[in-house]
Amino acid sequence: MKYARQVLRKHVNIIIVFISILLFNFTPAVFAADIGNCLLCHKYPGISRVDENGDLRLFYVNEDIFNNSVHAKVNCEGCHTDIKKVPHDPAKKVDCLIECHITEPSTETKFSHKDAEFFLANSVHSTKDKDGNPKQFAEDMPTCKNCHDNPLYRPLSFFKKVRYGVSEASLGRCRVCHKKDEFIYRFYNHVTTRLHKSRNPLNIAEVCARCHNNPEIVARHNLSTKAVYSYGETFHGKAARFLDERIPDCLDCHVRKGESVHQMLANDNPLSSTHKDNRSKICTNMDCHPSATPKFATYSVHAEFNKTQSPVQYYFTFFFIVLTGGTLLPLMGIIFLDCIRRLFPHAVIKRRK
Amino acid sequence: MEKTPSIKVKNGIKYFYRFTVNQRIQHFILAWSVVTLVLTGMPLKFPDASWAPYLYSLFGGIHAAPVIHKVFGAILLALFVYHIVYLIYIIYKYEVLPMKKKDGVSTGKVLKVLANQPLVPNLKDAKDIWGLLKYLLYFTRKRPDGAKYTWKEKFDYWAPFWGMVIIGLSGLVMWNKELATTIFPGELINFSLIAHSDEALLAALFLFIWHWYNVHFSQAVFPMGTAFITGYLPEELMVEEHYEEYVEVMKKAGLEHEILPPHGMHAVASEEGGQA
Repeated sequence: MKYARQVLRKHVNIIIVFISILLFNFTPAVFAADIGNCLLCHKYPGISRVDENGDLRLFYVNEDIFNNSVHAKVNCEGCHTDIKKVPHDPAKKVDCLIECHITEPSTETKFSHKDAEFFLANSVHSTKDKDGNPKQFAEDMPTCKNCHDNPLYRPLSFFKKVRYGVSEASLGRCRVCHKKDEFIYRFYNHVTTRLHKSRNPLNIAEVCARCHNNPEIVARHNLSTKAVYSYGETFHGKAARFLDERIPDCLDCHVRKGESVHQMLANDNPLSSTHKDNRSKICTNMDCHPSATPKFATYSVHAEFNKTQSPVQYYFTFFFIVLTGGTLLPLMGIIFLDCIRRLFPHAVIKRRK
Repeated sequence: MEKTPSIKVKNGIKYFYRFTVNQRIQHFILAWSVVTLVLTGMPLKFPDASWAPYLYSLFGGIHAAPVIHKVFGAILLALFVYHIVYLIYIIYKYEVLPMKKKDGVSTGKVLKVLANQPLVPNLKDAKDIWGLLKYLLYFTRKRPDGAKYTWKEKFDYWAPFWGMVIIGLSGLVMWNKELATTIFPGELINFSLIAHSDEALLAALFLFIWHWYNVHFSQAVFPMGTAFITGYLPEELMVEEHYEEYVEVMKKAGLEHEILPPHGMHAVASEEGGQA
């Protein structure tokens, strides 16, 4: 026994290498080349630091997950441009609007998300007003990372499959012309992920809820509703809660079809999809309620149980609350008395003679 | 011998005929569809509850459960229509028609017939509620003498009746929202949703607390009342809840000498006898 332990201790390095080889054999094909060798450190799940604000920051990168994300092809240095050496100083926050080390294939120019900035600047979420002056509470306005993280590929399946994911049958067709599997996988993932939303309606609503359900922000910006809360009270919101993919989320109504979601406009803007003159077009579009009349869109999607916001609906609901309490409480009182009465079936308060 | 005698004796216990086969089938369909509607509807009313996704999954989740809900909603509405037709038919056949043959009908007479229907609330119900409160608060030993249908049963009948009108209409609006809003403004859908879900919660709580207590869980009936299956109510419960009707039926059957004293009065009689 003692001898076995000695041998084990002596050869522990060999065992670790052996196990590592075994494990690495089972990891899927690696897409992104870790040129800067960043994973040398960042592959360790515990790598972390307490920052100036006292928050624990985790810097672990799960290679498998990253390789299944839409940024798999971008090198670490593509976004973390300030890191030139290893080990490095505290890194700056990533700026999504820079040009990264990827070529956009249709124009063969360097790729950048910079266009999103233009759309955002013309939207209701802009930090500046029409005249270019900073808005009040401009710091509440979202920047890229308030809404986005690094999303995973969400490939669609075709060829009679009911499961999500890459369809092996489709890949067989790709391979007829395209020889590199790495390219085929990435292309399939990219295109089919983009054919639908990369987030389900519940996820989208949760993103908007970060600000639009925050009572302080809602009050500060004079918004009429905690938008995601009131959406959650409708059938659409409830269905989203049960992970229905076909139900409309915030973006389906608040962005005009075919336009960037970054260019969301205020209700009072005549170009906005939710402007009162355009609203009916949202509901009556071919995919939603094609047989509906424009009157249908007078449905109050964001009505709340709130005396100032929707007084009629408030009192209507109030009536039912009173009716429910008024019916059930006396009846439950009778049940309670009946239960006790049955314990003392012959008891009676005798009148004094 | 009659197929459904008003009093049936089994193992020495008398059972009193209460519900026809037709009524029992109607009740079965009602109960079955209401339970299914509650189970497929409540997860939508409380989508954030921990049990909601599990219960909803039992009915196929968001894709299937709403379909099941609509199917059973349609069954319930069909039952409601059938029930109205059935009511009109039996009242006409057994009350209006004989009257017509005998000495002609008038609106006043028909209204009187309607007002005297056994399930229409009347002054006796108010008296019985007062009597029950006196009994429950120990002012008397005697429960009120219930007629064929007590105020509790009238409540059980009219609450779902009103509920079905409200829930049915609002359900139809939400089901056919595009059609409904060709005439009415879209806000009708808001009001329909409020009325549908709030009234449904009231109905469900009413049935599962009040109705089930009275017919199943009360100490006198526990673990389960069987009248909704057999159509017959045992003598003990007949005495407790429907004493007036009990005495009448016993007399009609020529069993005056076997009539039991009212509920709780055994003890009173012996106590008073002892004192004397």
